[in-house]
Amino acid sequence: MIQSAAMKQRLVFDQLSCRLQVDGLPDVSIGQSGTALGIITGWQLQWVGRPLLEGRREHLQALMQVVLPYARHLISGVRRDFSVAGEPVDIGPHPEGGHRLLLRSSQPDTPPLEMRLDDAELADLVRVLDLLRLDPRLQLPLKVPDPEPLGPRELMERIPLHRRLTAPLGGAAVLAVSAALVLLLPPPARPPLPSPAVPASQESVPGSPR
Amino acid sequence: MDDAAGIIAVMAKDTSEAARQERASRPLPRRGLERLDLMLLCLEALDLNGGEAMVWLSEHLGYGPLFPNRVELWKRRCHNPLRRICRRGEVPAPETDALIRILCVMADRLYPMLRSLLSSSDPEEMAQERWDLFQRRLADLIRERMNPRRSGVQKLLDPQEGAGQRLQLVQGLSLCAGNGGFERIKASLMDAVA
Repeated sequence: MIQSAAMKQRLVFDQLSCRLQVDGLPDVSIGQSGTALGIITGWQLQWVGRPLLEGRREHLQALMQVVLPYARHLISGVRRDFSVAGEPVDIGPHPEGGHRLLLRSSQPDTPPLEMRLDDAELADLVRVLDLLRLDPRLQLPLKVPDPEPLGPRELMERIPLHRRLTAPLGGAAVLAVSAALVLLLPPPARPPLPSPAVPASQESVPGSPR
Repeated sequence: MDDAAGIIAVMAKDTSEAARQERASRPLPRRGLERLDLMLLCLEALDLNGGEAMVWLSEHLGYGPLFPNRVELWKRRCHNPLRRICRRGEVPAPETDALIRILCVMADRLYPMLRSLLSSSDPEEMAQERWDLFQRRLADLIRERMNPRRSGVQKLLDPQEGAGQRLQLVQGLSLCAGNGGFERIKASLMDAVA
């Protein structure tokens, strides 16, 4: 018991608006040293003036799996919701500005907690998560998707739908109006029928006196 | 059956690893070079000695052989198509990586200023003053270095129309600050053209 208490590790990462605290133990079964953290026993995320968030390793990983890709998309100007099926954390743009972080509790009858973060608070959250995943003392793999370049289709999402549709719909409307106007034009007059052939004897000979 | 699944998994891992290496060695597209230079320009607008800090950081981070002097550093940044004096051609990946590292370290140093621009908890007047100062300095740098006939430059200089783009640049800097931001910003600079 005394040995366990001595081996307990705590990693703390501070930013102006939040503090992430991760508790755990070194995984001695795979030969980790006393300063390493190979097993996460719990974590806490404290926000200034907001409820305390805490959970297990799975919850921390779920938080990373949505917040870091969301931040990566924001750098490219793409604001869309991020969630992983069956995971307790969602993040997306808030309709009134800022960002909406939704946390679903695993406890029954506990309503989900929605937090509205401004850009600075989101940047703080991204920084503490970065500091944690890059800390050499953390020696367990936390699955986080690699940042990938976005394709043209994903980048189109940053342009609002009405603006995306304006050009093609406008073009189609102009084409339809032009086609209608062309149809309204009267058909061209028929060319006069060729006159009957003049007998050769009546034809004047060029250059002959009249 | 398990062996086959294992072989497929290893092959998929190899393929993704190869794709990652191929992507890492690919040079940045012109649009990416444009955004990289604009983000460095934003840092210069926040830090009056930003140009000097870039040169110092380049030496400090061990990029002396890539950028032996400030002119070489400036020549790489001149691949931004919005520049008055624009250079053609591609910038090799190690050099753009070095510029991105410098960007991330500088953004980390200036993070408190970036954060104060983005925070909504400060009084409205104070936040507006900060943005006005930043916009003035950025506009001075843009007028000095960029081609004013380009519509992208005109838009960026416009107080109303360019506000969204300036906010996106500052937000991008705040999210790429530090070591953890390198991969994020690099992936973003490699985006396809929409």
